Amino acid sequence: MMTIEQIIHAITSGEKTAEQITRESLAAIAAKNAEINAFVEVFEQDALAQAKAVDEKKARGEKLGALAGVPVAIKDNILYKGHKATCCSKMLENYTASYTSTVVEKLLAADAVIIGRTNMDEFAMGSSNQTSLYGPVKNPVDTTCVPGGSSGGSAAAVAAGMVPLALGTDTGGSVRQPAGFCGVVGIKPGYGRISRYGIIAFASSADQVGVLAANVKDAAIALEVLAGKDEHDSTSLDAPVPCYAQQMTADLKGMKIGLPVGFLDGLNEAIKDKVSAAAKRLEQLGAELVEVDVPYAKYSAPCYYIITSAEASSNLGRYDGIRYGYAAQQADGLKNYYENSRAPFGLEVKKRIIIGTYALTSERYEECFLKALKVRELIRDDFKKAFEKVDVLLTPTSPTTAFKLGAQEKDPLALYLADLYTCQGNIGGLAGISVPFGKDEKGLPIGVQFYGPILKEEKILNAAYQLEKNK
Amino acid sequence: MEITKKDVALAGKLANMQVSEQEAAIYEEQLRALFKWVKELSAVNTDGVQLTNVNITAHIRADQPQTDLARAALVRSAFNDAQDDCAKVKKVL
Repeated sequence: MMTIEQIIHAITSGEKTAEQITRESLAAIAAKNAEINAFVEVFEQDALAQAKAVDEKKARGEKLGALAGVPVAIKDNILYKGHKATCCSKMLENYTASYTSTVVEKLLAADAVIIGRTNMDEFAMGSSNQTSLYGPVKNPVDTTCVPGGSSGGSAAAVAAGMVPLALGTDTGGSVRQPAGFCGVVGIKPGYGRISRYGIIAFASSADQVGVLAANVKDAAIALEVLAGKDEHDSTSLDAPVPCYAQQMTADLKGMKIGLPVGFLDGLNEAIKDKVSAAAKRLEQLGAELVEVDVPYAKYSAPCYYIITSAEASSNLGRYDGIRYGYAAQQADGLKNYYENSRAPFGLEVKKRIIIGTYALTSERYEECFLKALKVRELIRDDFKKAFEKVDVLLTPTSPTTAFKLGAQEKDPLALYLADLYTCQGNIGGLAGISVPFGKDEKGLPIGVQFYGPILKEEKILNAAYQLEKNK
Repeated sequence: MEITKKDVALAGKLANMQVSEQEAAIYEEQLRALFKWVKELSAVNTDGVQLTNVNITAHIRADQPQTDLARAALVRSAFNDAQDDCAKVKKVL
């Protein structure tokens, strides 16, 4: 598949039409999706109509948008009016969006072509894309392995060359971890940089929309389209959106890159080697490496599972058969009606609701939920102090490369550890990007991650771009 | 912070979910491991830590009343049937 830059050039120069590009994307999906299972629905007719509209716009001599004719996949928890949005759950199997999310509105305003919705872990709860109603996604690099999750379909769609760009959501690493597993770029901007209006909520203090693309520049182009204040989302930040792609040309001289103390202890050797090699390369490119201490960051994962599960138990309360979701056909009283209507939740979703509900009980509130909120403050303070000393932090994206399908089903704690390095970004509200940097001995991609403070996405994009260019 | 089958059943009940015996057994084991991990948080001294807003720099709309006609129309459009400007919903019980 062509990159976004190549598509824009091909369309503006007249070398190809948007319809041709869209048909190429549809053909790639038709050829590969039966095996990879990245898409749960393809909007073929709508996509071709949008592509033709772009070609007509060009024929009229009108200015084209920044993503003119670019096929984009959207995760199945992003609303697009008139199209299904199921969170890959039986609970929402028949739900059709009654309005369009701000991110999809922005894509359409930029003349992008929405090609279909992608597979995901049920309600975005997972790191392997194995809990979907529509079956697991396979990693295009090695189809015996998981693609990561929860935006596994979006990452696999980009990695398999079905689309140049896909949207995901990231609550604990759900964009960056699958990007690392599939060998593509994944960026989760800082909290508030992109509107979440029209995103089906999982954990409101951590959910963010992110971008998956084949390279850093494409990710930057897409982020520029999507970022910005939205009146429909009071958590979106009122700050100017920089020209990200244009700001990536600066060299790294003078950039201070922080290496968090202890982050590589006990890590898989192949990944440790790659992160160390990345640090060395960045130093050769002119960056200054600085060790930084973030002592509370090691508590991010337990904080993450308590806070996000508690928020999920509240957010998913709306699926009661009356307000949203599956409606039971038979019940013996109201309580039983709710219970029967909530029966379609999968095992993992039910478990997270139980964790969250338990953590919020009056007996456990202080020692679980309130404690996790307070420790989160300390973690945020850690990162704030770190960014007073350095511009960005360099970390692994994940503690392992992609694992075999079904390999960790019986050990959910091991599965939860897949988010070890990424959930810190959501707990801290940071901007994070995963960029491919080599492979392990089995040929599986390794991602390295850069973190930056809120509203400093240009810094992590620049560091990732320079590393990508100088592998 | 020992979690038991009884706790799992109580949380399920509070969340309006039926949890089968088989599910409770799976969850009990998994949650015991998870909460053992969570217990590590108790070692952190959080005395004097104040909670802040998640996103203190976010914009807040001026506190002025607004009539959101689009939202009202959206709600009405979500139902197939209407009567006297009210949405008709299916009988639940």
